[in-house]
Formats: sequence, C-alpha cells, structure tokens
Amino acid sequence: MNGFKRLLHKDGAWAFVMLLPNLLGFLIFVVFPVFATFAISFVEWDLADHLEFVGLGNYERLFSDEVFAKVFWNTVYFTAVTVPVGIVLSLFLAILLDQKLRFVRFYRAAFFIPVISSMVSVAIIWQWIYNPEYGLLNYVLSWFGIKGPAWLTSTRWAMIAVMITAVWKNLGFNMLIFLAGLQSIPESYYEAAEIDGVKWFAKFRHITVPLLSPTTFFVTVMAVINSFQSFDIVYLMTQGGPARSTSVLVYYIFQNAFQFFDMGYASAIAYILFFVVLFLTMLQFMRQRKTAIY
Amino acid sequence: MKRKVVIMLSCLLTLFLLLAACGGNNAGQESGNDTGAETDRSGQSPASEEVVTLKFVGWEVSPLESESVKKGLEMFMEQNPNIRVEYTTLPSGTQYVAKMQAMFLGGEEPDVFFLQSDYYRDFVKRGYLLNLDEYIANDFSTDDLIDSAILLSTVDGSFYGIESCIVAPVLFYNKSIFDKAGLPYPPSDPNEAWTWEEFVDVAKKLTIKNGDKVEQYGAYGLEDYYQTIALIMSNGGNWFNEDYTASAVNTPEVREVLQAIYDLRVVEGASPETKLLQNAGMSASQMLQTGKIAMLAAGSWSLQELANMDFEVGVGVLPKFKEAVTHGQAHLHVASKNTKHPDEAWKLIKFLSSEDYQLQNVRAGLWLPNRKSLYSEEGIQKWMTDSVYPEGFEQLIPYLLNSKVYPYAMLPSQKIQEETTAQLDAFFYGTLDLDTALANIERSVNRLLAEMQ
Repeated sequence: MNGFKRLLHKDGAWAFVMLLPNLLGFLIFVVFPVFATFAISFVEWDLADHLEFVGLGNYERLFSDEVFAKVFWNTVYFTAVTVPVGIVLSLFLAILLDQKLRFVRFYRAAFFIPVISSMVSVAIIWQWIYNPEYGLLNYVLSWFGIKGPAWLTSTRWAMIAVMITAVWKNLGFNMLIFLAGLQSIPESYYEAAEIDGVKWFAKFRHITVPLLSPTTFFVTVMAVINSFQSFDIVYLMTQGGPARSTSVLVYYIFQNAFQFFDMGYASAIAYILFFVVLFLTMLQFMRQRKTAIY
Repeated sequence: MKRKVVIMLSCLLTLFLLLAACGGNNAGQESGNDTGAETDRSGQSPASEEVVTLKFVGWEVSPLESESVKKGLEMFMEQNPNIRVEYTTLPSGTQYVAKMQAMFLGGEEPDVFFLQSDYYRDFVKRGYLLNLDEYIANDFSTDDLIDSAILLSTVDGSFYGIESCIVAPVLFYNKSIFDKAGLPYPPSDPNEAWTWEEFVDVAKKLTIKNGDKVEQYGAYGLEDYYQTIALIMSNGGNWFNEDYTASAVNTPEVREVLQAIYDLRVVEGASPETKLLQNAGMSASQMLQTGKIAMLAAGSWSLQELANMDFEVGVGVLPKFKEAVTHGQAHLHVASKNTKHPDEAWKLIKFLSSEDYQLQNVRAGLWLPNRKSLYSEEGIQKWMTDSVYPEGFEQLIPYLLNSKVYPYAMLPSQKIQEETTAQLDAFFYGTLDLDTALANIERSVNRLLAEMQ
C-alpha cells in the first residue's frame, strides 16, 4: 500500500489516471490506426482473405497511376485557390465586422451559420443554386445577359463551383478567429498612429498585419491541413466527377479502400497525404520562426 | 488519502464496466437467439424450440420497395414461426457496398442480404458468401429459372446466391404529351421498334422551347451507362469480348452509338444533361410526370413508382440500331459464409426466390419474373394487373425474355466501371474527343482484366 500511495503522490500520476479514459480512446482510435495504416501500406489486402506482402509495391504503383497524378494536382489546385482566397475574404470580413456597426452581432452570426450547418444540407442547397436551368446563380447571371454554364456537370467549371462552396462554408470560422485576433490588438497603437496622421492603409499595413501574424499563421496552417483533407464536400456534391475533375486525394483513398477493396494502396496514398501535409506544416512553422513575433 | 484511492478505484471500475458493457452487448447480438418473449408472441411454437433471429439487409430505392419486402417477410415469418427476420435498409449504390464491407470487417455482417449483380463475383472471389450448391441440389429446382438467371447466379458452376428477378432498361413515356402532339406512342412490340433516326425525329418534335428556355425535352436517360449498354448491344457491340478477357469498346459499333447519344443532346438539343436534374432533387420519374420530358429511358423497376403517380404512363422498347435488344439482370439474395444459422438463411433465400414472393413484387411493377412459368400465357395472368401494367405491355414479353446478359455482372468490375464512367463523362460533359476516350478505356480495361487473371 505504501508504494501505491507514493505513486499517487508523484507528480502527474494522478493526472494520468484521470486522463486514462481519454487516453485509451486516443490510443485505440488514433495511434493504433496510424501505425496499422503504415503497416498495411506494405501489403496487398482486399479486406478479406487475400493478404500479401508487396514491400514498396504500393508506393511504386503511385508513380505510374495517372488517376493518382490527376487527383493529386486537383488537391493542390483546390488548396492553392481556396486557402488564399478564403483567408483574404475572411480577413476582410473580420475587419468590416470589427467596426461599430448597427446589428453587428447579427452579421457575425449570419456569416458563422454556414460553419455550423451540416455539410449535407449545404451541399444540397448549393446543388440547387448551381442547377443550370432552375438554379439561382444562372438566373442572376441571366440579368446581365450571361448564359451560365452547367456548373457541376462540366469538367471545366465543376472544380470552381466546389471551391466557391468550400470558401463560403469555411469563411465564418476563419473570420471568427481573425475577429478575436483583431480585438486583441491594443487600441493605443491605432491612437498613436492617428496622432501621427497615419493613413488607413498604412495603419493596416504596419499595425494590423504584423500584430495579426500569429492569428494568420494559425488560420493558414489549419486551412491548408483542412483543405488537403477535404472529402465530404466532394463526396456530396459531385462524387469526384465529372471525369474526375473534382476528385481529391481523400476521395481517391475512400474509393480505393471501399469501392475497389484495395486497402494497401489506399493506405499508401494516405501516407503520401500525411507526409505532404507534414512537410507543408513544417515549412510554415519554419517560416514563422524567421519572422518576428510581436 | 483514502478518499483519493476510492475515487481512483471508482474511475477504473467505471471504465471496466463500460468496456464490459460493450463486449456484453456484442455477445448478445451475435448469439442472435431470442427465446421467451418472441416465442410467446408467435404463440405457436413449443417453448422448447428456439427462435432464431436472422439479420437481413437490403436497400430502398423507393419506400414502396421496402413495403413490398416487409409484406413478404411477414408471410415468411408466418410460415416459419421459429425464425424472426430483422430487416434493415442501407443507402443503395456504392455506399451500400462500402457499408457492407465495413460490416464484414467488423464481424457484424448480416445473415442474408441483397447484393448488386456487379459486385456478386467480387464477393464470391473474396470468399464472403455461403456456397448454396448442396441446398439447391436437395431443396430447389432451378429448371424454371430463365437461362440468364442461372448464368448470372453461378460462378464456375456453383451457386452463392439466387438472382431475385430481372429488371431491364425500357422506354417510358408520358401518354398525354404524345396525345397533345398528335404523335403515335413508342411501340412496345420489339418487331416494330423505332430506328434511332425515327426516335430522334420524335424527340425533336417533342422538344418545346419558350424563347431560350427549354420547357419540355423529348427524351432523357440515355447517357446513363445502364441504358447506354443496351443501345450498344442493339448495335451488335458490347463492352467486352465474348469470354470477358478483353475490352471491345474501341469498335465502330460502340463509337456510333455513343456519338449518336451525344448528338441527341448537344446537336439536336432534344435531351437535358443526365445527372443534372437529378442533382437538383427531382427524380427522373417526377420529370416524366410533370412533363419536363416526354420519354424516359430507365430501368423497368421504375414502373412501380410511375404507376403510382397521377398520370398515364406507357412502356415501350428502346429504339434500335440493328436489332431491338435490352439486357437483364437484378440483385441477388445471398448469405454470409460465416452465418451462424445457414439452414435458416437458406430457408429465407429459398422463400425470396419463390414464385409467391416474386409474384408480389412483380404485381407491384417493381420486378419482372425470372421464372419461365410466369411468362406462359397462364403465368402472365397471375401478375399483369391493369392498375400497374400499361396497355400493350404483353407485347414486351419477348423483348424481356430474350434480354442479353448484363456484361458488368459477369466479372468483378468496379474499377472498370469507374474508369469507363470517368472517360465517358469527359467525352459527354468535357472536351475529350470520343476516339481518345475509347482508346483510354480500352487500354485501362485491358490492363485491369490482365491483372485479374
């Protein structure tokens, strides 16, 4: 009993016990799958009896797989557009909603609603909006004499349509983070600048942007990770079509695992995705370390 | 100090209880035996006889379909008071297979389930399904099944499931639109089938524009691979060669049909984009009902839904290129290899393959029979009800009886389908030219087929 008592007295042991339920969940549902996926990426497994060690075979296959190449670039394209556009727009919105406007709370809530809405209902509503014959978007375009395309069924426009929806859906979340960042910038800096007669844009450029950089960093890192992992929006709106023009990495992982029963290959792609995201995140951390923190 | 120990112990205890509860639950479900209450309810079986619960999973294309299945199951449970069937539905299509897959992995697979014909050979190959040969040899006559049903249900001569019925692509039309335009209805007699040119001509006449906006389209549904294949077969083509060892897609027969379907929408403007309106929440049947389209190429099962809608629907044969032809297949009823109750599972499959059960779904317009006896003069009387089957439907019978085997059902084909659809989408909705699309399909399908050998 003495030893037991001592164990409890040790720093952290008690905390460990309290965390145990949570930790167990983490081990079973996160750590174990991460290692299992790594192991599976070296075998060929059809989810049933057929299990065969193929070494790096699954990774070699990636290089000659045209679909993987297409899906990979789709994901890069999706990220390269939605992340910067999303950040600029949400920062703009945050600045607008940081002013002393009437009904400002209402606007903030309004822009946040897409974030808490279920992706399924968002997808259905946007499918209606994009409908070429009865949709709202093409109806509005027709006021200006523009005949809108068949958004979701044209190989040219489908990805753009999906990206618009993705940006709209996530706008509110980034806006909220930016808003918090903006409000933590002390008013006194702006007052000092005002006394010196600094113009609006200069204030934005030399006070807001640098003091907001930790927030921007956080938002960027999260947005890049989330965008590389997009799945639900594609699955719900286009199923990767038409002609794979909206298919992204996670969707391809899903297809390989649960449509083609090619678990090893799906796991290999999952690890490629993991390393890409890891690399990009490290890159951002390194960049962040070089710039000054205020 | 003591208190801390007590708290800690109770924490651990809670945890163990939680884990134990999970385990216990599973054990209860697996044994699947319900004595007591269930036996009392049926009131017939002696208390000593155990009631076996079968998990049965299917999908729901329309609520009417589930109703039909449940009605049938009640009949089954009355006949077999010691078997209780728990029926659940999953979303159809690829989601169904994905979920089924997960259930197999988790050891939670149902005892009996529906399986799409194009996944059947894959599930057999992976050893998921119960071999039914012995049961069929002792307890079932396959003589009455039409040839394509046997061809489809057997893999290397063995049965792992029984095809439920047949369904086939046909041409539905809204009668009042034809009446208004003063045009003759599409023929139901395959000998009088419209040629493609005649079909396009009618479709163009039935396309009505109001300024720039099309208010009514002539035809819809041919860009869907299920209907496309039928037209290709009608031109003497097929997706594969005869023994399914090579792609036969890069041929003039296939090219001609795909170009014609493309032209119907893009050049003639007589068809809306496939996928488009359905994406917007309107089913193809609703489009036909509301007069957005005059003719709809779709699977025969749609008749159940269409016959229940408030308009006069007609059924005809698809237009022909060389000969009037359709293809037939349907989902199979199969049992899991690891089912704890193989005998009861077989009883259920046998019931689902019986004439009684088939008739019930056929009468509703959901299925078409795959039993020869139900296509005899006398057999037809049993199901062709006026309230569901439009006038002239009996003329379609030779068309259905001679339906060709659906090629995707004859080999594990998910990747082939995916690749083919992607390339055809790029042709239909993108900028890829047909020759490149077909060459791409041929190349990757041949590679996939070689991998399968």
